[in-house]
Amino acid sequence: MGTRHIRRASMATAAVVTTTAAVAALLTTASTATAATITINPTADTYVQDSTPSTNYGTSSQFTVDNSPVRQSFLKFTVSGLTQAVTSAKLRIRVTAGGNSSNGGTWKSMTDTTWSETGVTWNNKPVIDGATVASLGSVANDQWVEIDVTSAVTGNGTFSFGGTSTSTNGAYYDSRESGADAPQLVITTGTAPSPTPTTSTPPPSGDPVLVGAGDIANCGTAGDEATANLLDGITGTVMAIGDTAYPDGTSSDYTNCYQPSWGRHKARTRPATGNHEYHTTGASGYFNYFGASAGDPTKGYYSFDLGSWHVVALNSNCSIVSCSAGSAQEQWLRGDLAASTKPCTVAYWHHPRYTSGSSHGPNTAVKPLYQALYDNNAEVVVTGHNHNYERFAPMDANGALDNTRGIRQFVAGMGGTSLGGFGTIQPNSQIRNSNTWGVLKLTLHPSSYDWQFVPEAGKTFTDSGTTACH
Amino acid sequence: MTEQTTIDAETPQPSPPPAPPRFGRAARITTTVAATVALAGVAIGYVQLTSSATTPEAPATAQTVSLAPAPRLLTLTSTGQVTTVGKDNPGGTRAVSKTKCDRIYAAARTVACLYADGILGTVSMRILDADLKERKAIPVSGIPNRVRVSTSGRMVSWTAFVGGDSYATLNFATRTGIYDTKTGTLFKTLETFDVIKDGKPYQSVDVNYWGVTFTDDDNTFYATLYTKGHRYLVQGDFAARTVRTLRDHVECPSLSPDGTRIAFKAPINGDSTKGWRLSVLDLATNKVTRTAETRSVDDQAAWLDNSTLAYVQQHDDGTKDLWTVPSDGSGKPKLLLRNAHSPAALG
Repeated sequence: MGTRHIRRASMATAAVVTTTAAVAALLTTASTATAATITINPTADTYVQDSTPSTNYGTSSQFTVDNSPVRQSFLKFTVSGLTQAVTSAKLRIRVTAGGNSSNGGTWKSMTDTTWSETGVTWNNKPVIDGATVASLGSVANDQWVEIDVTSAVTGNGTFSFGGTSTSTNGAYYDSRESGADAPQLVITTGTAPSPTPTTSTPPPSGDPVLVGAGDIANCGTAGDEATANLLDGITGTVMAIGDTAYPDGTSSDYTNCYQPSWGRHKARTRPATGNHEYHTTGASGYFNYFGASAGDPTKGYYSFDLGSWHVVALNSNCSIVSCSAGSAQEQWLRGDLAASTKPCTVAYWHHPRYTSGSSHGPNTAVKPLYQALYDNNAEVVVTGHNHNYERFAPMDANGALDNTRGIRQFVAGMGGTSLGGFGTIQPNSQIRNSNTWGVLKLTLHPSSYDWQFVPEAGKTFTDSGTTACH
Repeated sequence: MTEQTTIDAETPQPSPPPAPPRFGRAARITTTVAATVALAGVAIGYVQLTSSATTPEAPATAQTVSLAPAPRLLTLTSTGQVTTVGKDNPGGTRAVSKTKCDRIYAAARTVACLYADGILGTVSMRILDADLKERKAIPVSGIPNRVRVSTSGRMVSWTAFVGGDSYATLNFATRTGIYDTKTGTLFKTLETFDVIKDGKPYQSVDVNYWGVTFTDDDNTFYATLYTKGHRYLVQGDFAARTVRTLRDHVECPSLSPDGTRIAFKAPINGDSTKGWRLSVLDLATNKVTRTAETRSVDDQAAWLDNSTLAYVQQHDDGTKDLWTVPSDGSGKPKLLLRNAHSPAALG
C-alpha cells in the first residue's frame, strides 16, 4: 500500500495541505487539478471501559472496541482552513501490532463534540448517536482501516466519531499518542466527486428473507404506512409480531387500520398474536383476518421452513394459551424442534423475555419457550410489545451471556404505533432506539444470518450484523 | 379482567424499627442476586485474562459508596448502578456501587431502592441503610416508576406501573404504596384511602395514584390522583387515611425543601399525550410558574436546594442525562451529569 506516504500533521491541530498530484496515487478518487487534500490527526482520541467506570484512558497509546469488558472509543477532529466543498473524507485508523480481531467494530458519527480526551470516562461518556459510517469485519495486525466519512465531514468544524463492538474479541488501534501511526482524517476538496469505488456491498445472496416487526397498525399514527412502504421494497416472508391492529384487534380495526398498510403484504405474512388481539374474545378478529396463515385459532402457534431455516411463531399470551413447562404449547414446541432437520432456527412471539423498555418489563412467563429453543440450539428470537428497537447479545433463558449456544433476542416493536422509551438498560443490551419506525430484516443464509434494521424514510438509525448458526 | 383497586392492600403490621431480617422470598432474592454478581465477576475475570496481552489496564476494584448525609449528589447510571458525585463538583470523581436500582431516593440515612429483577421477574421496594445494606424488602407489582423518602428518613413511598392491567384497557394503571419505617405501617396501595374530591366524599374504581412527596411532619403528603381523565394534585393525611383534591393537571409533585412550593409536570394544554412542562406551584399564592425547560419532562423532579430542580432527559438509545433548571422560571436548563437519573441531594 502507498498509504504510508501520506504526510501527517505533526501537531494535532495542524493540517498539511498537499497538491493533488502528490497524493493522487493514494486516493481512490480521480481528481481534477483544482483539488486539494489535507490530512489531519485527531485533537482527541480515547476509550472508556465499563469495568473501570471512573477511569480515563486519554493518554493511552491505543484505543479499543470490545464487548467484554465493554469498551467504546471516541475520536475527535477539528477541520479548519477549507475554502472549497468537501468531496471526500476518509477516516483512517491503524490496528496495533497485536490488536487484530474478527470484528473491527461499528463506527458512527456523533453529535457531541464537547467531550475532553482527559476527562471522559465510562460514567460520563458521550452518546454515540449519529449515523453508522462503518460496520467492520475482520481487521488484521498493523492494517490501516479506511472508513468513508464523507457523509459526516461536511466542511470546517469539529467532528466526533465513536466505536463500539458486539464481539468479545476486542480490536485495538493506535491512538494519537502512538506517534507515527496516529489516526488520520483525509479530506479532499474542490472537485465534484468522481465515480468512486464504493465499499463493496455483498451481492444479493438469494437466500430467504424474514422481515417484519410488531406493534403495527394504528389508525392514529402514520407509522404503519411508513413501514409498509419499506416492505414494498423487500421481498420475503413477513412476520407480523403481535399487536397487529390497534386498539382492540377487532374486524374493523383490521379493515380500517391494518388492511390499508400492511394488508397489501398479507399473502406473504405469517403473524403472531399480541395482547391487543385478545381484547377481542379469542382473538377472533385476528384469526378471521389472517385465516389459515395464523394457525389453529385455539393455539396461535405453528411452524414452517424457509431454506435452511426452521421458523416458529408462538403465542406469548401465556395466561390464555399456556407457556409453562409441560403445557401443550411448550410440549408441541419441543417436539417440533426435535423433528426439524434444518440446521438453523428462528422463533418470534410478542412478549419479550428480555427488554429495557419502559412500558413493559422482561417477561418470565415465556421463559419455558425460550428454554426449549435454547435446549434445541435455536439462534434467534424476535419479539415486540415495547414500542422500540433493542438487540441483545446471545443469552440463555436465565439472562447469562452465552456466546456458544445463546439465543440472540430482538425487541422489534417499532412497526408503526406510537414509539416508547427505555427504563433501566438491562444487562447484555447491545443497541437501542426509540425514535424510528422500521422493520427488522433477517437474511437466512445456510449457516448464518444477517440482521438489518431498515429505518423509515427520512430517518438514519440503523443496525446490522451477522452471526453464525450454532 | 378489570382493574383491581384493593388486591395489594395490606393490613398495617406494626413492628419495631428497624425491621428484623426477613427470610423466605426476600431472602432468596438477595441470595440469588449475590450469586449472580459473583458469577459475573468470574466471567469478567476470565475474559480479561484472555485479552490481557493487549490490555495493560488494571480492572477496577469495587467502590464503596456511602449515602450518608453529605454534600453529595446521589444518582443512578443508565444501567442502574448507584453512584455519588460531589454536589459542587459533579464533573469530578464519581463513586459507583455494584448495587442496582431502577429508581432511588435517600434522606437521613434511609435509602429507597425500587428494583426490578428482570431475570427472576420480581420487583421489590428495597429499603437500605446508608451503606446500601438491606433493612427491608417489600414485594411490589409492576414497573418501577417513582420513589421518595421524607426529609427525616422515616416515610418511604413508591409508584409502579402495573403490568397486566393494560390488558383490559389502553390506559396504564399505577399503584402507589407508603411505608412508615418508624411504626412499620405499610400500605401497598393508597387506593383504600378515603377521597374528598371538591369537598365531597368520592369513590370510583378507576382511581390511581402516583408520585408521592412528603412534608416535614411525616404525615402530610402530596401526590397525583387520577380519575375519569383528571390528574389532580391531592393532599393526603397518612394517619387519617384520607386525601383531598387541590387542583387539576398536576403530576408527580415534588415539595421544595422549605415546604412552600411544589414542582410538578403540567400536561401541555391539559393533555398529557402532548407531554409535560416542568412547572412550580406556590402553595401560598396558587401561582404557577413555568420553568425555562421547554422540552417535555417526564420525571418527578428533585430539589437540589430551594431554587434548583434536577430532572432527567432521555436519549433515543435509552441513556439518560441529568439536567437542572432554576425553579423560579429564570435562566435556562443546564446539563449537570451525563449517564445519570433519579437524583437526590444527600445534604
